[in-house]
Amino acid sequence: MAVPRAERLTKWLIAGPPLAFLLAFFLLPSLIMALASLRYPGEFGGLAPLAARAGEEGGLTLENYVLFFGDWIYAQIFAKSLGIAALTTFVCLVMAYPLALLIARSPKKRRDFMVLLVILPFASNFLVRVYAWMIILGPMDLLFTRFAVIVGMVYVHLPFMILPLYTNLEKHDPALLDAAQDLGANAWHTFWRVTFPLSLPGVFSGSALVFIPVLGMFAIPELLGGKGDWMVGNMIKEAFLGTRDWPFGSMLSLMLTLAVLAIAGAAALFARRGARDA
Amino acid sequence: MGALRALYGLALAALLAAFGAQAQQERLHVYNWNNYITEDTVARFEQACHCRLVQDYYADNEEMLAKLAAGAAGYDILVPTGDAVATLIRQGALRPLEPARLPNLANLKPEFLKPWFDPGNRYSVPYAYSVTLLGYNEQKMRELGIPTDTWAAIFEPKYLERLRGKVTVLDSQRELMAAALIYLGHPAYDTDPAHWRRARELILRAKPYWAAFNAASYIKELTVGNIWLAHGYSNDMHTARQDALKAGRKFTIGYSTPKEGAVFAVDNLVMHKSGRRPDLAYQFMNFLLEPESSAALSNAIGAGSPNAAAMHLIRPEIANNKAIFPGPEQLAQMQQLHELTRAERRLLNRMWIEIKVR
Amino acid sequence: MRSSRLLWAPSLAVYAFLYVPLAIVVLFSFNDSRLSAEWVGFTLDWYRKLATDDAMLAAARNSVLIALTAALVATVLGTMAGIAMHRYRIRGLTFLVLTPVAMPEILLGVSLLVFFIQVLNLTLGLVSVLIAHITFCIGFVAIIVRARLAGMDESIFEAARDLGATPWQSFRLVTLPLIMPAVTAGALMSFTLSIDDFVITFFTAGVGVSTLPLQIFTMIKVAVTPEVNAVSTLLMLVTLTLIVLASRVAPDALKGRT
Repeated sequence: MAVPRAERLTKWLIAGPPLAFLLAFFLLPSLIMALASLRYPGEFGGLAPLAARAGEEGGLTLENYVLFFGDWIYAQIFAKSLGIAALTTFVCLVMAYPLALLIARSPKKRRDFMVLLVILPFASNFLVRVYAWMIILGPMDLLFTRFAVIVGMVYVHLPFMILPLYTNLEKHDPALLDAAQDLGANAWHTFWRVTFPLSLPGVFSGSALVFIPVLGMFAIPELLGGKGDWMVGNMIKEAFLGTRDWPFGSMLSLMLTLAVLAIAGAAALFARRGARDA
Repeated sequence: MGALRALYGLALAALLAAFGAQAQQERLHVYNWNNYITEDTVARFEQACHCRLVQDYYADNEEMLAKLAAGAAGYDILVPTGDAVATLIRQGALRPLEPARLPNLANLKPEFLKPWFDPGNRYSVPYAYSVTLLGYNEQKMRELGIPTDTWAAIFEPKYLERLRGKVTVLDSQRELMAAALIYLGHPAYDTDPAHWRRARELILRAKPYWAAFNAASYIKELTVGNIWLAHGYSNDMHTARQDALKAGRKFTIGYSTPKEGAVFAVDNLVMHKSGRRPDLAYQFMNFLLEPESSAALSNAIGAGSPNAAAMHLIRPEIANNKAIFPGPEQLAQMQQLHELTRAERRLLNRMWIEIKVR
Repeated sequence: MRSSRLLWAPSLAVYAFLYVPLAIVVLFSFNDSRLSAEWVGFTLDWYRKLATDDAMLAAARNSVLIALTAALVATVLGTMAGIAMHRYRIRGLTFLVLTPVAMPEILLGVSLLVFFIQVLNLTLGLVSVLIAHITFCIGFVAIIVRARLAGMDESIFEAARDLGATPWQSFRLVTLPLIMPAVTAGALMSFTLSIDDFVITFFTAGVGVSTLPLQIFTMIKVAVTPEVNAVSTLLMLVTLTLIVLASRVAPDALKGRT
């Protein structure tokens, strides 16, 4: 039939180019990197050739993974990064919630303006936002500390928590809150028993949007943190641009990817379950 | 709709402006250490050649080699240290030099010709040399009783305790490892893995007291007073000293070569094969070999000069400074870094990640 | 509501938290002192220095060039992706489009670095940065366009088809005009994201190509002067204008991000 064929052609005409682009420049590089984690490093960085030449290293090896699982220090850095990400997410949640609630409960016109006010700091470059904190924390002797790193992380990611939360809270039916009040619940009770559970999908969205990027950050620890605040991102950066041990860096990146996928999966699971229970 | 059209028009205009602004000029691309040519010399050369000098910077030979290996191209001139020159020659990355086009070669001190890394000077021309040593806030060191003529100042906890958070070391695998090896009594170019492991332990023991690994801004940190002791290059320390005097600081910056020995580095001008203007490159090299240019560098930043004809133009306090122009007794204690094999490089890389991460 | 009053205090505190640091950066860009420690006096020197800073101007030129081109290509590809995601069930498309947005940037930067050098043997430069930027911008545009399509009434398309329009006509005369605000918003967002990007550019730029964020980073690390404040203020003005424009053109688009 002519119509379905035209439809199918249209479908591939529309979906084809972006699909091709992303396959070529996103999926393929990811696969290449996965392969790279199994190779030897090149002499000045990069990768050694796949075919081993006489007297040189080449081919595939599991030594990067052996190194990773054989030394406690790498797992420690992952644990540290997860901790920092968790703390940042928690602080963002606590700070974002009152504001998101206020925006959701405000009249429509004011709401849009308030949302714009949240997005505007985004207009500044991320480095500028970090630099601002270098200026503020420097004289206070708080620069190059874990505290500075957390402040920087929270500052940069707060809008990512506010927006999903507010989007979710906006959809809450005010009738539910009235019902709770009629049944004798005070404000705190209403919040904890009605509002918060209903907002869980938003909480999980926002948390994922904060947790995952924080996990991979390196610029904030590098600018605001001290030597002991190295995160996974710093390790990866040092591997690729410092020692240029690309196989090692690729292996670390793969580990980070797995961690992120696991967390994203868990968040999606909780979000679905949270929505179901609510 | 009108607003949108205005927006697109603006975008197009910006695009055209961006493209149009690419001025086509004669350019010489140089990949160099930071702060290694005086602005004056650059200006004089640009006038003489009617061209523009475009510099990119690196802070470490390893960085330069790796960026080149990653495909950075189009540099006419590089300024690698001896061991890096050897590597580049082996890779076949350099253009052989025609001595006929470099008449000012005659100005050089004979001991700098025929170096171990480039016998016959077929590819390289010595430019300047430096010593990797310790720079410090003189008043603070006296106050705290820290000896400044030994590497112990940055490696021994008994001194580091008083300097906690006020010490930086070079962010360079080779340099830091070399300093540790020298302090342990081995030559800087030692490649025995057992010695390296001991050096790594020494570094890790001292690391908690250090403020940072720093290759770029330690001059400023010393001058401002945030850091009291830094592991760095003699010319950078000289610059710090001058800056502090100029800024009228209440302290002075001193620098000295530790008695256990130090790394001695000769930086050389080479031509990379991917450079597009070898003619300008020859002009530039010859220009830098003039006594005025070499003396200008020494006078400005305290770099050691291999140029015999320049010596009388260098200020006496610099020419007689043993940290900048080491005499034979000092040189006996110094070593140049040699090339590493692939396996050694890998081992050092892995150790460096550990050092950074622990 | 009574409880709203309780919310005002923490909310204002958060707004202050968001804006005060930026205000400080802007303020010190006019400060007559090298150190951003205390106010000394008003001066436009740092802006003047910017105008003659060759490296900075080159970086700004690169940033604009890359952002414009990346926004153009990403908008086209992203719009197509958004339509395709809404209309068709193509396995893997949603994953491919959305994952670059969700993943930590460093992973994208690093995998592209390996890909460019190892597979394509491409010298890192403008092209590599461009490709990298397009890759992560496609997802943003697609999300915005898809959200807009999801909010539209399907019957319009059915009506067009019933009236005999070919798929292409239906697209050109019905779909495109209706999603135009979302497309424009996507374009503005792509431009902003590209001009502001640091992490991915850091890995794919190589030597010789600098963008404004890379310049700022180098300045912060090596020699911080209020020139950084000045360029930051100017950059803020540009992106601020764009975001306000985007919010006017497509007010729902930015909210529908998640």
